[in-house]
Amino acid sequence: MTAAATPFGDAPAARYGFGLLVVLLYVFLLAPLVTIVGASFTSGMLIEFPPRGFSLQWYGQFFQRDNLVAALLVSLRVGLITAVVTSIMAMMAALAGQAMAGKLGGWFQIGMVLPLLVPELLTGVGLLFFLYKIGLGRSLLGLQIGHILMSFPYAYVSISAALRQVPPSLGEASSSLGATGWQTFRLVTLPLVRPGLVMGAIFAFINSFDLYTMSLLLKPVGGTTLPLALFDFLTYEFKPTAAAAATLSILLALVGVALVQRLVGLQRAF
Amino acid sequence: MATVEVKNLRKQYRNVVALDGVSLEARAGQMVTLLGPSGCGKSTTLRCLAGFLEPDGGDVRIDGESILSIPSNRRGFGVVFQNYALFPHMTVAENVGYGLKLRKCAKSEIHARVVEVLRLVRLTGLEDRLPREISGGQQQRVALARALVLKPRLLLLDEPLANLDARLRDEVRWLVRDLQQQSGITAFYVTHDQSEAMAISDMVAVMKAGRVAQFASPREIYQRPAERYVANFTGEANILTCRTAVPAGETRMRVGVGGADLEVDCAPAARTAGDVELLLRPEALRLAGPDDTAAFRGIVTKCAFLGASQHCEIELPDGNILKLAAPPNARVVPGESAGVVIDCTHAWAMPKVPA
Repeated sequence: MTAAATPFGDAPAARYGFGLLVVLLYVFLLAPLVTIVGASFTSGMLIEFPPRGFSLQWYGQFFQRDNLVAALLVSLRVGLITAVVTSIMAMMAALAGQAMAGKLGGWFQIGMVLPLLVPELLTGVGLLFFLYKIGLGRSLLGLQIGHILMSFPYAYVSISAALRQVPPSLGEASSSLGATGWQTFRLVTLPLVRPGLVMGAIFAFINSFDLYTMSLLLKPVGGTTLPLALFDFLTYEFKPTAAAAATLSILLALVGVALVQRLVGLQRAF
Repeated sequence: MATVEVKNLRKQYRNVVALDGVSLEARAGQMVTLLGPSGCGKSTTLRCLAGFLEPDGGDVRIDGESILSIPSNRRGFGVVFQNYALFPHMTVAENVGYGLKLRKCAKSEIHARVVEVLRLVRLTGLEDRLPREISGGQQQRVALARALVLKPRLLLLDEPLANLDARLRDEVRWLVRDLQQQSGITAFYVTHDQSEAMAISDMVAVMKAGRVAQFASPREIYQRPAERYVANFTGEANILTCRTAVPAGETRMRVGVGGADLEVDCAPAARTAGDVELLLRPEALRLAGPDDTAAFRGIVTKCAFLGASQHCEIELPDGNILKLAAPPNARVVPGESAGVVIDCTHAWAMPKVPA
């Protein structure tokens, strides 16, 4: 082995130190997940860790609460539509951004990630006024628009990064071989940016599933999303039902990661 | 087979003039090379031909018809790129068959033609490999096959060997030339490597700052360059400033240079030029032996042993310096006087053009 095993050198002290650092990092990242997943299996009446005994009763409880299940369904639906619409829009925007040369291209990039830079609350309030003006205030469609807006930058960054990896000469080669612009996109560009596209769609979904402020401002009359419903629930009852719901969300994220691995391979997605 | 005329092509980017009136022509089946340093406009010219770039002025005609209004995907030209530009997600066979598939050829016909062209570029057996699984030389041959399989009217090659190492470069270069001659396709070839240009072309256009400095056969470019720039770009050159120059007959001049008075062939423009320069390629010069009458005498300023020969530099009385190759065991000592014999049939007078 020629390279040092750790960034701090190869001495035993450095090795143990580095190992410890990695462990601490993982503890920091995973502790909340472990706690909440563990707490969801408790047979007691309170959210606590370590859990008291083992039971699946809180999952049963969750599915018996109509308002929570309804909120989950709203979140899933809004998330899926967000993922599909956002990735198509971001794909088109990334192609447009690539076609712009020089300074204009740089400003375009910044414009496309603006929803990340502007505080969510400001965007949300602005959007709320705007949606009322055009008659979509407090409607499901309005909420959907808000989610797409907030998720767009994630998908855009992921897709345009993938697109930058495709050398322009491939498009020229394709054209010289007789392909129209659409054929080049379908046969060359799209297959090559697919990992970025799938990644972007999943980012968009997870972001949408997680949005709180935006949903709070725009939620339709009589409907709500899972994060809002959980917060309401926890305000009145501190029951492990919430932990079960959180665990289901984590499971959903894992399904997403597995999907990426299955479709494109994680190594290529990042 | 197609004849190509490029007429007064112009292209400007903001404040940079990339093409300043480029005119060229290729007869049917010829290989025309655009030679020059980076930024001289050679690639820009090729990209205008391919249709990737729209010129600001001028015209490109194929068999007499202007093609500038035809988009690149309907020009039917084969293009080979410096970075190969193979589709990384397709196998060798899929890459080569790409154009045929777009033309809605039957599967069996695609297969037959792909196999045939891969045999031509000697890649039989690699059909199912991905581009990243084969070597650079093989990748460039796939790119060549992908262009040739469509039997293009015109083949455009943009520094196709620049990314290959020296050994592969030789191999692919001859393959390109052989295939081009066998199929009789008219071709344009962009390179900055003069030996590559000489070896494979019928005609060479030496380009300088968006213009064609000279358009002629490789022999003429090398032996009868129009100006210093062309002479320097096409090989080792001694270029001496002449003290006097007077026309002597139709295509000849008498020049006074380095303490000698010589009658040499000249470029037409040299006869009327204010200042004249004399080109002496190293192979036109020889160290004088005891029995020779030396045309020049000077002081040896440098001598380096290279194995098969010695590299010498000799300063003449008028300050001009001659570089030449001496036999490996000739006695050449810096600081001593030496004589040089010249072969006047390889000397060439040309007008002095401001750089």
